[in-house]
Amino acid sequence: MSKPTVIVVGADKGGVGKTTVARTLLDYFTAHHLPTRAFDTESPKGTLKRFHPEHCDIVDVTSVADQMRIFDTLTSADASVTIIDVRAGLLSPTLRALRDIGFLDAVKKGQLNFIIFHILGSSIASLNEIEDTAAFAVDSKYFLVKNFINNTSFFEWDQATHASYFRKLKDAIEVTIPKLNEMAYEQVELASVPFLTFVANKGAKGESTNYSFVLRGYVRHWLGNVWGEYDRIKLNELVTSGATPAQAPRVQAVGRS
Amino acid sequence: MQPAPIYIVASPRPRVGKTLLARLLIEFLYSRSRPLVGYDLNPRESLLAERFPKLVWPVDITSTRGQMELFDRLIADTASTKIIDLGSPLFDHFFDVIREIGFVQEARRLSMEPIVLFITDPAPTTVRSYAELRSRLAVTIVPVQNESVSVMFAKEDFQGTGPECGMIRIPRLSAIVRGVIDRPSFSFGAYLAKRQGGPTEIHEWIAQIFNEFRDLELRLLMGRVNSSLGRGGKREDRSAG
Repeated sequence: MSKPTVIVVGADKGGVGKTTVARTLLDYFTAHHLPTRAFDTESPKGTLKRFHPEHCDIVDVTSVADQMRIFDTLTSADASVTIIDVRAGLLSPTLRALRDIGFLDAVKKGQLNFIIFHILGSSIASLNEIEDTAAFAVDSKYFLVKNFINNTSFFEWDQATHASYFRKLKDAIEVTIPKLNEMAYEQVELASVPFLTFVANKGAKGESTNYSFVLRGYVRHWLGNVWGEYDRIKLNELVTSGATPAQAPRVQAVGRS
Repeated sequence: MQPAPIYIVASPRPRVGKTLLARLLIEFLYSRSRPLVGYDLNPRESLLAERFPKLVWPVDITSTRGQMELFDRLIADTASTKIIDLGSPLFDHFFDVIREIGFVQEARRLSMEPIVLFITDPAPTTVRSYAELRSRLAVTIVPVQNESVSVMFAKEDFQGTGPECGMIRIPRLSAIVRGVIDRPSFSFGAYLAKRQGGPTEIHEWIAQIFNEFRDLELRLLMGRVNSSLGRGGKREDRSAG
């Protein structure tokens, strides 16, 4: 059996699409038949839980009781992958808590896989966050996610600024989430189902529904592109074997336009 | 059961006879009592929809809502033959959307067959568009030569996607006669049925084109039969179309 994997999806800034990325990850692992559980830290009302009620619990990641609920069960849980959707502003505190409870030591010893999806906003503040979080990411797989789903344009990032920040992180890898048609995104929101379920034209209880074929097509195409990114970074291999993504491009050399 | 065709009358160039071909096809199918629905994708000038207000719907596919209006309706009705008059400004957009939403696969899954009737002309952009369409979309493409637009047909530039495609030829009409068929009240089917005073240039012209349509239907049918019998090779699988 593969080592337990913890995936933290977060950003210190709000509205950058953390939960959307967490949802695509849950769909990705579902499609790969990897038992996955998720924790939504938007306590008391979680957004991730609304879309994935069966796989998701709402927790307060700053409370010791909930930390025990997540991390003391990593090896005993049926799911080998644990996704934590970290609420805005809590990424750095969560990473500090992980260090304090000895989680990062266990990662260092190779007992656990630890993956961080750091969702970036368009502002320079987002780049500043990288410095704060990078210190905790030494033994993790650290992915910097440019999320275009809500039509973000990374206007404040000129090439030189981008390169100067990313150069500091020699092991970080850039992931791009493309834009999804607004109406399609809105319909999935209204349906409150996983993207995969929407594509399959099913409701929350598996019943047949009548979503627009056009909108389902847009979601299917978009999800395929997102998963293409996850395949590129060999995410599936990372969580099943703990191997290093050998072929994935390194961020400091990218400077993607 | 034969798949219901979805004819897409297309060209990247304006004024090459797309609406005329769509008109002819509608009247041909109507004369054979086929259930049919048309869509006019010319947002500025919906001539086809104006001519057949009970059969043809104008749709603007530049918006997602318009795309839903078209493609959701197309797949909801699996029985009717559909004719789409695709305006040249929307040529690329239409086929981009088709590819992105996986329309061709879904149509085939529902026993419908999209067929592009591509009106050719010698312009390099048209030749390039044809080649790109062939390489990007796994769909039946039938080249159409409108002799009023191009006298010569460069077969090597516009090869059909299979032996069953062949081509459709629309003979040239004299300018005076062209004025007659452009009248709002003119109907090809009705004119052909009346035969007032024996065959005229228009009679022969309509009959010739209707024969082309009959031949095309027969060729497509034979193509499917051959394909189901394992003859004639597999359809080219070019991309997710």
